[in-house]
Amino acid sequence: MSDAGVIHDIGYQRYEGPRLGRSAVFGAIYQHGLRASFGLGRSAKAKIFPWLVAGIVLLVAVINAAVKAQANIILFDYFSFDDTMSWLVIFFVAIVAPELVSRDMRSGVLPLYFSRPLRAFDYIGAKFVALATAVFLLLGVPQLIMFLGGAFTTDDGAKGVWNEFLDLLPGWGYSLLWAVVFASISLLIASVTGKRAFAAGGIVAFFLMTAPVVGVLSILPSSTAQHLAGLASPMSLLVGVQAWLRGRNDLDLDVGDFGVIYGIEAFCLVFAALLLLLARYRKVASL
Amino acid sequence: MSTVAYITARGLLGRRRVLLLLPLPLLLVGLALICRAYDVDPDQWGQAVVVGLGLAVMLPVISLIIGTGVLGSEVDDGTIVHILTKPLARRDIILAKLLVAAGVSAVTSAIPLFVTGVLADSVRFGLALVVGAVAGAIAYSALFLLLSLVTRRPVLLGLAYILVWEGLLGRFVSGTRVLSIEQYVITIADRIAPTGMLDGKVSVPVAIVMTVIFAIGGTIYAVNRLGSFSVAGETS
Repeated sequence: MSDAGVIHDIGYQRYEGPRLGRSAVFGAIYQHGLRASFGLGRSAKAKIFPWLVAGIVLLVAVINAAVKAQANIILFDYFSFDDTMSWLVIFFVAIVAPELVSRDMRSGVLPLYFSRPLRAFDYIGAKFVALATAVFLLLGVPQLIMFLGGAFTTDDGAKGVWNEFLDLLPGWGYSLLWAVVFASISLLIASVTGKRAFAAGGIVAFFLMTAPVVGVLSILPSSTAQHLAGLASPMSLLVGVQAWLRGRNDLDLDVGDFGVIYGIEAFCLVFAALLLLLARYRKVASL
Repeated sequence: MSTVAYITARGLLGRRRVLLLLPLPLLLVGLALICRAYDVDPDQWGQAVVVGLGLAVMLPVISLIIGTGVLGSEVDDGTIVHILTKPLARRDIILAKLLVAAGVSAVTSAIPLFVTGVLADSVRFGLALVVGAVAGAIAYSALFLLLSLVTRRPVLLGLAYILVWEGLLGRFVSGTRVLSIEQYVITIADRIAPTGMLDGKVSVPVAIVMTVIFAIGGTIYAVNRLGSFSVAGETS
């Protein structure tokens, strides 16, 4: 054969170093997502809204710790703190979730992502874990402040600190539950549209419109309907799971004997949201 | 001016995203129907449905999506330049956009509120809710239209107003209610048809005057902002 068909080597240097695999890509997206959640590495404008929310939540925790230390009045315990902050958590995921997924769709960089050794599962998993971590930090750090406030003012020495710590651990678990549920649902809604503004509006509208449904169902003249009312909204669903796991009946929501159903629905909700996200990105990835 | 209004309305209603406006009104009417079907006393569900869903969520969220959409999406896309370079007074552009935004928000939220009001109490209550919703839609639209000119993140700022100012602070701090459009709507509707369901926390003159101030003040300031509008670069 002649030399006509030869592709000439014009001297570009080949990359000979180690090639990082899927796990490195996962780690990079996760780290970048977590930093982007709080606007780190972005301009000052991108920091305003996340830190506004974080500031309010921290302020409430500090006030709570101070009031408890000075006047021994307990405004919130670790669990009701999460419930009271629910609107701020909604606002936070409405800020962050579109930032994580809608931006990539809007600027059309998804084909670049998926030209790497990266599956749809990795991309979604990394974004989901990043958002869940951010929400957990949003709730968990203030809870830690409340714990420190309680620990330094305890009267029982080390035993008091230990008891306070045993209260904190399930509180953190509850925050983790909040983080997982809110992260999965908000990412699913945000992945529908590339416009950040519409994604944010959609997330808030979804969470807020479910709350009155619970209010209506809980006044229907049927005790089963009342016990199951909390299933209609993610916020009351989490309260229901809390009531089931802690065996409490004095919360806002009476779950009766249906506590298990709350647990099952919380699990299925997260699972279904992640599966739908996966299905969504299977399609986007092939574009 | 009518052309601007026509183009705005087509941009708003002609796309798939108009479907985003449907779930909230349907849910509102659906809940009211369920309660009627089970013969629950309106005093029990009226507050949760009419105020909790209708006036605190549906009206502001719909006004937010529409109010920031009419001008904000054009600023985002950069097509605002085409309108600005036409020989049109900036005042006319704002007025046309505001008219469309307030009109669409008012219609989408007043109709379901009317149905809910009739189901809950009486036609009079339904009409009172319609008047309140229309006044609220105008004030909200002016405010959110202004936001889309003042900042590059109008939806988030609007959500902060709805969630944090009206929602969270309005519940705990009484002073913030004087600057809450939701409270004006409740007060106006309660004045027209007094029922146990609505609980206006501000006085009637304050509500009316402040609604007018929000509507006219927002419009004037928006005209002013658009007059000195400069097409900025990329968002951060």
